[in-house]
Amino acid sequence: MRANYRINSGVRFELLSQDQLVELFGGVLHVLEYTGLDVYHDEARDILKKAGAWVDGLRVRLPSYLVKKSLQLAPRSFTLWARDGNPKHNIHIGPGRSHFGPGPTCPNFTDIETLERRLYVKSDVPLVARVVDALPNIDFCESLGTVNDVHHELGALYEFAGMFPNTSKPIVAWSYDRFDSTGIHEIAISEAGGQAAFEKRPNYVHYCEPLSPLTSTFEAIDKLLFAARHRVPLIFTPCPISGGTGPITAAGMVIQGAAESWMGLTVAQAVQPGLPFIMGGVYSALDMSSMILAYGAPELSLMMAGITELAHFAGLPLWQTGGCTDSKTFDEQAIIEGSLSVFFSALTGGDLTHDVGYTESGMTGSVFQLAAMDEAIGYSRRITRGVDVNDDTLAVEVIHKVGPNGHYLRQPHTRRYYKNEFWYPNLCDRRNYEEWEMMGKTTMKDRTVARVRGILATHQASPVKPETERMIEKVLAEAENRVKEQ
Amino acid sequence: MSRIYEQLSTALLEGDAEQTPKLVQKALKEGLVPKDILDNGLVVGMKEVGVRFKAGDMFVPEVLMSADAMQSALQVLRPALVASGAKLIGKVVLGTVKGDLHDIGKNLVGMMCEGAGFEVIDLGFNVDPEKFVDAIKVHRPEVVGMSALLTTTMRAMALTIKAVEEAGLRERVKIMVGGAPVDAAFAKRIGADGYGSNGPAGSDLAKKLAGAA
Repeated sequence: MRANYRINSGVRFELLSQDQLVELFGGVLHVLEYTGLDVYHDEARDILKKAGAWVDGLRVRLPSYLVKKSLQLAPRSFTLWARDGNPKHNIHIGPGRSHFGPGPTCPNFTDIETLERRLYVKSDVPLVARVVDALPNIDFCESLGTVNDVHHELGALYEFAGMFPNTSKPIVAWSYDRFDSTGIHEIAISEAGGQAAFEKRPNYVHYCEPLSPLTSTFEAIDKLLFAARHRVPLIFTPCPISGGTGPITAAGMVIQGAAESWMGLTVAQAVQPGLPFIMGGVYSALDMSSMILAYGAPELSLMMAGITELAHFAGLPLWQTGGCTDSKTFDEQAIIEGSLSVFFSALTGGDLTHDVGYTESGMTGSVFQLAAMDEAIGYSRRITRGVDVNDDTLAVEVIHKVGPNGHYLRQPHTRRYYKNEFWYPNLCDRRNYEEWEMMGKTTMKDRTVARVRGILATHQASPVKPETERMIEKVLAEAENRVKEQ
Repeated sequence: MSRIYEQLSTALLEGDAEQTPKLVQKALKEGLVPKDILDNGLVVGMKEVGVRFKAGDMFVPEVLMSADAMQSALQVLRPALVASGAKLIGKVVLGTVKGDLHDIGKNLVGMMCEGAGFEVIDLGFNVDPEKFVDAIKVHRPEVVGMSALLTTTMRAMALTIKAVEEAGLRERVKIMVGGAPVDAAFAKRIGADGYGSNGPAGSDLAKKLAGAA
């Protein structure tokens, strides 16, 4: 029997001390109480006012007790369910669990056949979803693009309609407005078996994006209200750009972003107490020469680690960011930037890490980047899993048994552990030179392209129910009619 | 073809060292020809082990389990093979060269060669060139395999080949080399007949060099 003995499950990582977190937390409450946000939604301002907020025109300020109450109402742990009941595709949100997936809304896409950059189209959606479904370290699905070849108001709906049947992993659904949200929700509850069944086992998350600095736009809040009323787990993800739409310092960025998130939290919890709420989002530097939001900057990892720790301190899960790059192509820069941010996200235990597969600073989605990052995530997860210390792993007996100049390959101890103790690469090459030469001297890029094409040639997700297929057709037909009438 | 061959190769593939000797016994009792049991059961299984290892679907500890299952099967089968006068596909003499105490890779090659149907004479590690020469005289193998892990002991391979030449035996045997620092270019430079990069590659090479592939 052990006594007074501490076990580290995984690698310990800590950016901020408890004192620093208390100070940051106080900073957020201060901003919400003294500065407040502009909320461009009449109904939401009424809801907030009733809840105890101070409303003056558009400006809403939140007393700190109200924010603290809202934080208490939101759960830290909950499950996002695979639509087909496959337990491997469920996502259990909770302390020490990081998950990964692509991001939404890139205008361009890296073509699967030509590898050239071109506009993202409707037929790309199922491909991305099928690759997500097949990759072992990708846990949730977004589309990596904005559908350009349908009516400009229907992109988000076509996106969900394309993803949902092609992966059973939980989907993070982005939308333009309440119309999209309604259609998306009808498809999802059709598969779940109705609203009540969906509330028990939600199979998608709704994604809303407020504006920085300190602005709750009508669309963001309107979608939030829809999600809250239908009990759809919610991601509320600001994207302040340090030096532009957010302060230049990392600490200031964390405070402003958290304030933007917690305005959404307060509305959501006032409408639907206990709604799963995941705060966001993307925090990075404004590159002071190219004026882009740098997706490959070290500051992204640092700021994301800061906001992750603050979220966990406050008892909320976080929408992390990683696996993305400013590179325009599949090259060394893409792999360095993507892998480092993936590793950092894994270390922080950020709950849902998105934008895996973003290239060109979010302008081009790439399933090749996504597949390469699947490898980096597997690699990172092996490290963060840490070292197991117990009587059997100490291996003292087997060390004695093998003795000097023996070997361990035949030992039952080796056979017992070699599959779990070691990580086995899918894409990284460890062959000797001759074999590598014999296999065609392939590069990481060659192997990644082959893997993606191999998945697309063979992998199909489990099908949706027939009634869901019919619902998808109905929702799309109704949406087409609606935009025709305009 | 008897179902027992299939069971035997499956048990081998699964590395089931308890099942394989029992299955061999059963096959012998059923009156199957020892050479057929080897060729149609065991060798088929080991061949598949090699294929899966190459494809990255099996790992070294599993290959060793299969090799163990092969050896325990051979213990039962060998007397019957000898009694029946069946000819194995050839003999391989193996050893880690002088100055080098590493023998994992060499052992793997040995097991895979046995699995491929060779008789294997393992000289162990830290083997003097003279000992290789003597073994060639005594056992008359088709193939001699040498292994080294260290860049410092690689040179002993060249010295061993030279000793074989000086003894006038070079034309009688094919020589293959392997080990972490060794490559095909080095093999050629020192006058070896081939290079194998791992266990299964080593046994494939032995088969080729013995004219049995």
